[in-house]
This record gives sequence, C-alpha cells and structure tokens, in this order.
Amino acid sequence: MSRKEAYGYAAARIRAMEHRLLDAAVFARLLDAEDTASFLKVLSETSYSAEVSSISAEHSFDAMLERVLHDTYEEIASFVPDKELVTLLRLPYDFSNAKVLLKSLFAVKSGGKKRWDLLTSVASYPVDKLIADTESEEYRLLPFGLSSLYPKCISILEQNGDMLEVERILDEQMFKEMLNLAASLDIPEVTRWVRLKIDGENLRTMVRLKRFGFDSVRVRPFLHAGGFVGTEVLAPLVSEPMDTWGKAIDFSDLSAIFDDSESSADFSEVVGAMENKLDDFYYAETAKSKYSQDSPCNIVMYLLGKEQEIKNIRMIYVSKSGSWDNDKVRGLLRYVGN
Amino acid sequence: MEAVLATMGDQLGQMLVVLGAALAVGFAGSGSAWGIGLANEAAAGIMTEDPKKFGYALVLLALPGTQGIYGLLVAVLAMQKAGLLGGAAVALSVWQGLGIGCACLPIAISGFYSAIWQGKSSAATILMIAKRPEQIGKAVILPAMCETYAVFGLLVSILMLNGIKL
Repeated sequence: MSRKEAYGYAAARIRAMEHRLLDAAVFARLLDAEDTASFLKVLSETSYSAEVSSISAEHSFDAMLERVLHDTYEEIASFVPDKELVTLLRLPYDFSNAKVLLKSLFAVKSGGKKRWDLLTSVASYPVDKLIADTESEEYRLLPFGLSSLYPKCISILEQNGDMLEVERILDEQMFKEMLNLAASLDIPEVTRWVRLKIDGENLRTMVRLKRFGFDSVRVRPFLHAGGFVGTEVLAPLVSEPMDTWGKAIDFSDLSAIFDDSESSADFSEVVGAMENKLDDFYYAETAKSKYSQDSPCNIVMYLLGKEQEIKNIRMIYVSKSGSWDNDKVRGLLRYVGN
Repeated sequence: MEAVLATMGDQLGQMLVVLGAALAVGFAGSGSAWGIGLANEAAAGIMTEDPKKFGYALVLLALPGTQGIYGLLVAVLAMQKAGLLGGAAVALSVWQGLGIGCACLPIAISGFYSAIWQGKSSAATILMIAKRPEQIGKAVILPAMCETYAVFGLLVSILMLNGIKL
C-alpha cells in the first residue's frame, strides 16, 4: 500500500466528521440571535451542545472554544497515519505560546504580570511542561529548535527589549520547522500549502509594516524564505500602492487576494479584509482535495475549517456581547460550510 | 533424459492450462482483494462516526469482489475443458494447452485492474454517501461502470475457451 492510500480510512472518517461542522444556516441563526443567551441556546442545538452546557460564566466561553479545538486536534491525531501532519498544523500555537512566555518574562522584569492565561492548550507541546521547562530554565528540553532560540530571545530582550526582533526570529524558526515537517511528510500538497502560507504571512507582514512607514530595506529581514514568491520580489512592493501588488505577483495564486483591494481604504480595514481573504484562500487551497478519497489534505482542510468555524463563533459571540451591527459581522466571517 | 523430455512434452499442454487457470484466479482474486481493501478503509472510516451506514457501505464493498468470482469461473471452465476436474482424461497438444491458457488471460488482466479501480471508485462513493446517504442509487452506478470491463474480459475468455477445438 502506498503512503497516500494509507489515508483512505482517515479521509473517510474526516468526511463523516464534516457533519459536525456548522453550516451556513446555523451561522445565519447565530447571527440573528438577539443576545448572548439566545446565541448560546442556538449553539446548544448543534454539535456544541455538550460543551455549551459546561459553561458556567461568561468568561469561560473562550475556554470552551479552546477545549473544542484542542479535542479536535487530539481526536484527529489519534487516527491519522502521520502524526507529524497534525503537529505541523499545531506549530503556530507552539510558537505563539513561546512568544507569550517571553513577553510575560519581560513584563515581570518591568513590574508587570505574567499572562499565562494567554497560553493555549491547542499547541502540540503541553503548556504545563512548557512552563516547567522555562521556569526551571531547562531550555534544552524545548522542542522545534526553541532549545537554542529561547535563550537567544531572552538575551535580545534583556539587551534592547526589541520584541519585534524576537517575534521575527521566532516566526522564521516556525516556518523553517513547518517546511522541515512538510518535507519529512513528503506530501506535495502539504508542502505547497506551507509555502503558500509563508507567502501569505509575508504579504500580511508587508501590509502591517507599510502602515508603520517601513521601506523595502527595513521590510526585507521580516520576510521569510521558502514561499513561492521570493523575498527579493516582495520587499520592493512595500513602496508601491497596494492595488498594484496583485499585478506584481500575478504568477502566484495569491495575487487573487488583491483583486478588489482599494488603495484608498483604511489600513485597519485592509488588514482585516486581508486576514479574512487569506484564511479563505488557505482553506480553498486544501479544499481542492475534497474529491480525492485518499488525499492527506482532507485532514488539513477539516482542521482549517474547524479553526475558521471557531473564529466565526467567537466573533459572533463577541458581537452579541457588544451589540454590533449584524451586516458588519457578516462581512467579517470566514468561509462557512454549506 | 529423453524419457523425461518426452513426458514433459506429453503433459506440457495440460500444464499450460493449469498455468492459465492459476493466473485467472490469482490475478482476478488479488485485484478483488486489493479493491475491497481500499473500499474497506473508507467504509471503516465512515462507520467509526456513523455505524448505521454499514448497510449502504456493504453494497459498495461487495462490488470489487465480483472479479474474483469471474476469475474462478474461467479457471473452472478451463480445467473442465482439459479434463482436470475428473472424468475422462483429455489428450492435449502443446498448442491446444497454450490456447486454453491464453484464453484465461483476458479475465486475469482485466479482472486485476478493474477490481483495483473499482475499489478506488467504491471508496470515493462511500465518501459520497457519508455526506449524502440519499444518493446511494447513484453511488452504486459509478463504480459499476468499472465492472463493464471485467465482464468484457469474462465474455472474451469464455468465447475463446469455447472456440478451441479438442
């Protein structure tokens, strides 16, 4: 049996699990809910019923969503032929936890508080273990290259407190690890997805840095290698109007996300719209495999779909707490199933 | 040595029939096992989530199994023609034996490949019924298309067997 055929069981189980994902009709009902109580009532009629009943106070809603995502990752990791595929998708959470710990460490030194509440259990490396390793300064136990990188980040923070630089080198390491994991999996669709993700994150970074007036020389170090679009092509674009970026990278599939961008739009709107388009783009890329009965990308597609579902639920819940306009929220939603 | 060669010459016709029958059963049966295995993985996947889909899945699982039966049928017909299943012994020349052996090849080859592809097709349609169980009618038709070519193989094998004069 080939490596790809080993995914026959996993892909079929994923397809059956798709019944648990909320469809467009449920999202429409959640949006129409008058307040958080009626929102939770609608949610309790879905696959979230058991989790909703476990909510005791409003602040635990986020914890419930995190638990759902964590359980989904664990469940899928229990039956996929390559556990590394799930680890690959959890890597951003691992590096996010590392950033939270470093920021906490720095905050404590300047009289602030530890923000361990921001650590996420969705990461593949257990949070308790991560805290124990860093608190006891046993950095050599840290995974994904953090064993050498974490002390380096601490020394950067101690020397000049440059959190931007720390985030840059952590992101660089994360993408390096993602590429290494994808290469070890030897699944072309997954490698392609990782490379597109690197391109997407580079573009997101460029938009953010353009907002702060960075020029191409200052932008270049923040762009990561390994994508389909070279950093030498991307960096000069930062001085150009954003509505020309699509044309400049029209050899890449990502150019489509600039199709209807407006140069006059507010930066925060552009960043928000771009985040949505990128999430939808990553999902659409993996969804190309949904007609294959043994493609490993079915697993990636389901997990991305679940992440988007949870983002959508959280956004609608927050909008109900703050009485936002429904149309505005609808525009912010990621792809919802149908 | 000459006696050994003479005996081999006498029995070579029948040995070629045995070889043909073995290929028909072996290849068509292996293809069926492979195809059913592929479909089984998909069926196990959807039944983990929804055991009630067993009935639907069973129909689709059975489809790649028919090639093995066709291979068995042709092997039995070939051996019967050569008198290998009891009754009066049939004296076969090398050319007659080779003809019967070759008559087994269409089902051996078409059975092997069509069963594997039918298994893949069944697995894909099992995914389809995971999402839309009401489409079971169409789901059965799609992998059944591969069956056509196994049936052609069976038909040609039978026609060739009947065409060989002893």
